Amino acid sequence: MKKVIEINDLCYSYPDEKIALENINLDIFEGESVGIVGANGAGKTTLILHINGIIRSNNGNIKVIDMEMTDKNIRKIRSKVGLVFQNPEDQLFSPTVFEDVSFGPLNMKLSPDEVIKRTTDALEMVEMSGFENRSSHHLSEGEKKRISIATVLSMNPEILVLDEPTSNLDPKHRRELIHLLKKFNKTIIIVSHDLEAMLELCDRTVLMNKGEIVKDGKTRELMSDRKLMEDNYLECPLSLKN
Amino acid sequence: MKHDFLDKYSKLGSVIHKLDPRAKIITFLLFIIFVITTAPHDYLSFAAYAAVISIVVFLSKVPLSYVFKRVLVIIPFVLLVAIFLPFANKGPEGWTIFWNVMIKSFLAVLATIMLSSTTKFHKLLKGFELLKFPKIMIMMLAFMYRYVFILVDEAHRMERARDSRYFGGEYLRQIKIVCNIIGLLFIRAYERGERVYQSMSARGFDGNIITMNELKYVKSDMIFYIIFTGMILTIKIWSLF
Ligand SMILES: Nc1ncnc2c1ncn2[C@@H]1O[C@H](COP(=O)(O)OP(=O)(O)OP(=O)(O)O)[C@@H](O)[C@H]1O
Ligand SMILES: [Mg+2]
Repeated sequence: MKKVIEINDLCYSYPDEKIALENINLDIFEGESVGIVGANGAGKTTLILHINGIIRSNNGNIKVIDMEMTDKNIRKIRSKVGLVFQNPEDQLFSPTVFEDVSFGPLNMKLSPDEVIKRTTDALEMVEMSGFENRSSHHLSEGEKKRISIATVLSMNPEILVLDEPTSNLDPKHRRELIHLLKKFNKTIIIVSHDLEAMLELCDRTVLMNKGEIVKDGKTRELMSDRKLMEDNYLECPLSLKN
Repeated sequence: MKHDFLDKYSKLGSVIHKLDPRAKIITFLLFIIFVITTAPHDYLSFAAYAAVISIVVFLSKVPLSYVFKRVLVIIPFVLLVAIFLPFANKGPEGWTIFWNVMIKSFLAVLATIMLSSTTKFHKLLKGFELLKFPKIMIMMLAFMYRYVFILVDEAHRMERARDSRYFGGEYLRQIKIVCNIIGLLFIRAYERGERVYQSMSARGFDGNIITMNELKYVKSDMIFYIIFTGMILTIKIWSLF
């Protein structure tokens, strides 16, 4: 199997000198779906921001699809890695939904017809067709979430990285999102507190605590280890309890 | 929370609403220039311009009460400036200038109100963009439109959080709390800016703003151009002789 993400000895502290990541080693292979779990402040968001070069650290190195994280490669890497942020309000900044979803494809310098096609397709995938001309501040939280995902799907990424995709979704749309992500047959990384969803979506899970990777293994095994979960401020999912 | 005070009524579906924003921007801009350059004594032209803009108001189906409320917001400022003119210029000449200023600004304000209340904000921006206004300015306006309400909401939420835990007290302390809220609002806006920039970078933004031309002139835009610029041009030319 081909390695698509390779992280070696990564350390990072925020400017206020708080250590957010310590000695992270992580390899992710093509077609895998990997979950990242951990308590609030464990460093999950900080870690995935590194995959896209949004945060760059001097300690350790990162390779995405055989490309070293350098100024030269960063554009290419960003077009391969689709990152959906935790808060849709940060992801949707344009006056209309259409402009938000077409923002990525336009930056990839695609032809206008292709941009329109990708935008329409992405909106259809998240079942938000017909919302093209709405402005995002008039949408419900769940709708914003789905549009956020469309803004990245329209770029047709090799690797999809989602921070809290199921938060604020009602059960029906949560279910639909899970189906959507199951159909996505490329590499996928999900950060979430929704362990039940992870159990369905991810074969492999990485458990983080205080900036370090505590455990990396099969989702089912990892999540049924009661002591491990509770030591890291988590809880076994209900469906695994009995 | 939902807000629409910036472009209320812009979602109606009248003939004027359906026009291409560029057609409206150019026509209304011409209208304003023509009105401003009209000679002070040419009351007949003013009446004719008023008639033209009335037709637009009528066609747009925007409620008259709303239009006048909007005008009333701006006119006092004009009045404040214009009221000194009769004193600065002695005799009837002063009053002529006064009325001249009032009428011209009234018509110009009316035109801008029609433009903003018949065009959705994003379409207006698109129109300005295609008319080659600087992209950076348009982007600033777009961000303002997108985030001003979120900031307002954030301020409201902080205010509510304060009120739910604040049971009166010294005046000085109250001032301190308000200052904290303002400071926090600033920091939050700054941090949001950072996160938005991150999410733009993540989708390949490198400082160049790339947009798409989604507007197309259709027959009705041409008809509007011909009729309305025709009308105001006629008034202009006719007043010159
Ligand atoms: N911009 C920042 N400046 C300084 N410290 C930060 C910043 N962002 C996060 N941190 C700190 O870094 C640590 C890791 O934060 P991170 O956002 O990665 O956590 P997380 O695992 O995503 O948590 P959550 O589940 O709450 O989203 C936290 O202790 C946080 O306080
Ligand atoms: Mg997080």
